[in-house]
Amino acid sequence: MEQPQGRTGGKIGIKEFVAIVVIMIGTKITDDTTALLFKPLLNAAWMVPVINGILAIIPVALLMKVSTHYENKDLIDVSYHLFGKYIAFFVLFILWFIGFCFIVVDTAIYTDIIGTMYYLRTPSIVIYGLLMFVCAYGARKGLENIGSVAWTVYPYLQASLFVTLLITFSQGSTNFLFPLFGPGALEVIKESSFTISIYMDILYVFILFPYVNRTKDFKKGTWIAFALIAINMALALISYIMLFDYHSVAMQSYPYHEALRTINFAFLTNLESFIFPFWLIGSFVKFTAYLYINLLLFAKLVKIEQFKYLIPTFATLIVFLGLIAENPAVTMHQLKQTIAYITSPMFFALPILFWIVAKWKGEFKK
Amino acid sequence: MKIVNLPCKLALFSLFFLLLTGCWDQTEVEQLAYVVAIGLDKPEDVKEGLVEITYLIANPQSGAKVGGDEPPREIISFSVNDFINARNLANTVIAKQISYDLLRFIIVSEEFAKDDDFIKWMYDATKATDFRRDLRILVSKESPSTFMQNNEPLVDKRPHKYFDLIFKRGKETGTIPPGELFSFYRITESDANVFLGVYATTEQEEEGARQEDSDQIIAGEFDSSGETNTTQFAGSAVFKEGKMIDTLTIEETRLSFLLSNIFEKPREILTAMPDPFDEDYQLTTRIQRDGNIDMNMDLEKEKPTIDVTVPIVLEVMTNHSMNNYSDDVKKREKLEDSLEDTLTQKFEDLIKKTQEEFGAEPFGWSLIARKEFLSIPEYEEFNWMKTYPEMEINVNVNLRIDKFGRQIRLPDLDEVRD
Amino acid sequence: MLQKLFRGKKEKRAYNGSKLDGDMSKDNSEKIDSELTKTVNIFKTIYSYPDNQDVTIRNIHINGLNKDGALLFISTITDTKVIDEYVIEPLLKNQDSEVKIDDLVSVPSISKTTAIADICTEVNNGSAVLFVDEETQAYILNASNFESRGIEKPENETVVKGPKEAFIEKASTNISLIRKRIKNENLVVETQTVSKRSNNVAYIVYIKNVTNDDIVDKVKSRLHTMDVDAVQNLSLLEQYIEESHVSIFPTVLNTERPDRAVSFLEDGYVVLLMDNSPDSLVVPATFWSFYHTSEDHYLRLPYGNFTRVLRLFALFVTLFTSALYVAVVTFHVEMIPPDLLLAIASTRELVPFPALFEVLLMEIAFELIREAGLRVPSPIGPTIGIVGALILGQAAVEANIVSPIVVIVVALGGLSSFAIGDISMNFAIRLSRFIFVIAAGVFGMYGMVALFTLGVFYLVSIRTFGVPYLAPMTPTYKSSKDTIFRKMLQNEIFRPGYMKPKDMKKK
Repeated sequence: MEQPQGRTGGKIGIKEFVAIVVIMIGTKITDDTTALLFKPLLNAAWMVPVINGILAIIPVALLMKVSTHYENKDLIDVSYHLFGKYIAFFVLFILWFIGFCFIVVDTAIYTDIIGTMYYLRTPSIVIYGLLMFVCAYGARKGLENIGSVAWTVYPYLQASLFVTLLITFSQGSTNFLFPLFGPGALEVIKESSFTISIYMDILYVFILFPYVNRTKDFKKGTWIAFALIAINMALALISYIMLFDYHSVAMQSYPYHEALRTINFAFLTNLESFIFPFWLIGSFVKFTAYLYINLLLFAKLVKIEQFKYLIPTFATLIVFLGLIAENPAVTMHQLKQTIAYITSPMFFALPILFWIVAKWKGEFKK
Repeated sequence: MKIVNLPCKLALFSLFFLLLTGCWDQTEVEQLAYVVAIGLDKPEDVKEGLVEITYLIANPQSGAKVGGDEPPREIISFSVNDFINARNLANTVIAKQISYDLLRFIIVSEEFAKDDDFIKWMYDATKATDFRRDLRILVSKESPSTFMQNNEPLVDKRPHKYFDLIFKRGKETGTIPPGELFSFYRITESDANVFLGVYATTEQEEEGARQEDSDQIIAGEFDSSGETNTTQFAGSAVFKEGKMIDTLTIEETRLSFLLSNIFEKPREILTAMPDPFDEDYQLTTRIQRDGNIDMNMDLEKEKPTIDVTVPIVLEVMTNHSMNNYSDDVKKREKLEDSLEDTLTQKFEDLIKKTQEEFGAEPFGWSLIARKEFLSIPEYEEFNWMKTYPEMEINVNVNLRIDKFGRQIRLPDLDEVRD
Repeated sequence: MLQKLFRGKKEKRAYNGSKLDGDMSKDNSEKIDSELTKTVNIFKTIYSYPDNQDVTIRNIHINGLNKDGALLFISTITDTKVIDEYVIEPLLKNQDSEVKIDDLVSVPSISKTTAIADICTEVNNGSAVLFVDEETQAYILNASNFESRGIEKPENETVVKGPKEAFIEKASTNISLIRKRIKNENLVVETQTVSKRSNNVAYIVYIKNVTNDDIVDKVKSRLHTMDVDAVQNLSLLEQYIEESHVSIFPTVLNTERPDRAVSFLEDGYVVLLMDNSPDSLVVPATFWSFYHTSEDHYLRLPYGNFTRVLRLFALFVTLFTSALYVAVVTFHVEMIPPDLLLAIASTRELVPFPALFEVLLMEIAFELIREAGLRVPSPIGPTIGIVGALILGQAAVEANIVSPIVVIVVALGGLSSFAIGDISMNFAIRLSRFIFVIAAGVFGMYGMVALFTLGVFYLVSIRTFGVPYLAPMTPTYKSSKDTIFRKMLQNEIFRPGYMKPKDMKKK
């Protein structure tokens, strides 16, 4: 039997790349990340993705310049090249560790969403186990297939979100968006910069750089995905505010699912069960991609060639770590908030550091 | 059996394991008791902290081929800590698992709604996962258990259908407000408006029920006779800060609809208006809001002023004075002026009532006012609820007569009688 | 060259036991003798003459040349009339002493050979062999005449609009049907023997200047590595050359329509033909080739796409209705509109089984009726199927074994499954349906979605002859984008890029 191989030896095209990135990061608006924004910013929370997005252009652009400067070198090789063996290892290890924490926290939260919103009596370990089983299976199939799946399902996920938003808009009120600046214009900008880590995951996307067909595709794809994520996030946040007003929305753990429970369309009074499958598919693909990228980073760090065999082990580890928390909706949320505050400056500083070192070493002149 | 290899065995084993044990959330439809409405009341002679729950349970068997002679519903009342806990206690009487999947209404007794602690129980609904946020809040004059027992529709016997239709129709005619649970939360939390719940009763007022104006009534005051249900859904219960304070009549409810951009426009409000040409008669008109109301606010002043322009489109349906307005421009103008004046007067009366009696408005104007501020602290500083009673509010009705019924002209009455 | 390779392989197997003893005499090195009687005797032994009834040896004396000759053929697979008129008659009536045998015999194809093994192959394929005394080579006269039926209408892939010819069990006729549609010298028909004992031959058909050589080579090597005694037909061959033998998704397309095979040829695919197979194999097959039918392109664009939408809908209905019913009724009751919910609850009140079991029961009953309907003698088959289903459903409902809504659900799913024409894909969908029902019974929607996601991951990871299963949708290739919907014919200007055709543009 021949080795399964695609046309470009395991590389992905721009469509697949964009789909992966959007599903990875865009699904954040359906979990408790929104709560991070609503609590301090109330009805101005929708501006965060926009302001953050503009702010995040700087680190992303700088990192883009550095990493695309070296063809066929991913973030890992580049950092070894720039920082030398020890510092690079340290930086990358931190990056990997944060990524790993994100996976544990997020999977625990998604398990909690499924558990509290749809499967009340099913034990968490079963929900969690199935979630990670699907993700592990997907991750084992490799990047090319993850990309294919992401691209196959992405239009439907986007359509389902779009339908939800449309119904929410029609059943909400624009008046809730005012006063425009929520807690005050200054506050908005201040808080935005604290929560810039919502785009943190873009850093991990750079690990995929050598696996994208062409440098041009990577550049274009990243920016397209970036824009799509910002637009989706802003629109979703607007829709939640329009439906609930800022008081209610700030108290909810999972506004997306609350919104699904509130809206109705024609004779269908309970839309949540119709949208739920799409959201689930999105979650599966999201964590598959996370798991794969995280393991890719890990494998490169400790120099393992065949990291596919690590996947089941890691998946199991994640399940048990994620189950430690007793009350995921609260503890995991707080943990996430803490990580978000810590990583925000890091997300901003790290790419700049990359660029400065590269500039200082005179890399761009070569 | 060498043919079945280890992975296969494992897969089969886990499948059977799951099939046998993995039924945590599995329930069969026929093993559920579908609660259509929950009643909440303050129990008498019981210690504080308890609430009397009434379940109105739909019977799926009603009207079915087999067992179709079973009654369409089942009602059970008992005292309990909260309505989450009630699900288990109900099973001492009800054979099936209680399900809130068909739950659409929360019925509260007027007495309980006026209680300070009422809001505490209402927030239980945010904790229960299978509670929908678009439940409707219905205030009954009597206790919910009496209300449900007395409510015996003759034709639409199945309770979920009956309530569904009543509400759909009520929304279209504007006799009852939507009264959705999530707006109750929202309004209570934002603390700037009053919330309108649905008002209903099964007890007819004995005396003086019929008032001069057929629209100035609330549930219980409508005098109907014949062989039908005694339940009446009319008017709204006004909740301020999560506590019921007053009621609005049908007319006031409708006027609130017309004055608000938040509520969905009722499709047909049929109402009587005084005939400017003959005091003995009234014109039946169909009133609609013609787009959004226009608000002009000046909140900077010492005494904030609001200018409200309400665009109204109106259709004259009856004409008992037999005047032919359609041919006479002057008559039409007079009619328009008169109707405008009447409406303006009514609006002003209602606004005055809300300012003086409620101290807050149900129209959701505070939301429109939010546009005048840049940040929430500023807006909260202004304190809409506190400022509202002192505001100077000018109502201006912008009336347009659309049609004069199907047949425009009427015969001259004198000629007919001649 | 390939024949040589093949022979080499066989020699290796020769000492592999007594199995091939009968074939030992066919050793390539053995040649015929110049003495006629000796040669004839060799062949008499090989063919067990005269025990073997239809093996005929006709001794003739060639007038003019004044030589003895012998004609060997198997009468049941040879056209005796041709032999009589064009071989025996000219040989007997010849008066000229200078003429060559080649010029005497007037059959269209004649060749000479010396090896006994080759002669045997030819005789087994229906040729007559003429041995002449004092000559070291034999004349092979092509006059084969295998029995087969005439060209008929396709039975499984019926269309309303479009050609109505189907392949038959005779490969030469099938090739002729293909050549009729591609009148081009670049159409190549190669043969390769795929079995050792029965010597079944597979015909590899492709267009030389379109099809990528890699794919042709891959197909050839797959055929070559087969190591079996007999492969009766393509349905069996398919199972030898497919990628994964246990996967529920088919990776080789089986079509009985020459027009369909030709359209694949023109796109750079390889088509396999065999005697005894009223169909052809198209390799490699993507998911879309099972989803499409030839009529999609024969109908005008809107009509064609309409049928595609219907088929897609049918596919999803088949896959999901039963599972969805189970999931909704046991896990997500709130999804159902109130009236329907109460209706379902009231009908289920008297049914003794859980919904999962109820659905499985009905599904299995439906599959049974379907299978039995196939095996029942044809005149009563359809009646039994429909009547059986109706009566069984009706009776089951009245006996309160299943609720009426389950009958509707299962019948809808079963009916929709007929819209997926390809039998392999049909089985794949029907089997997956059962897995979905069980997943839904265990985990509700969560289980279904998990299974679906696993399925999609599996589907995209399938490769057939190096081609991704969902290409060109994902991974993306340059192509005419003929996937869920088709494009205007004028816009279908590219051959599928995943086939890496030598000529990308169709026009």
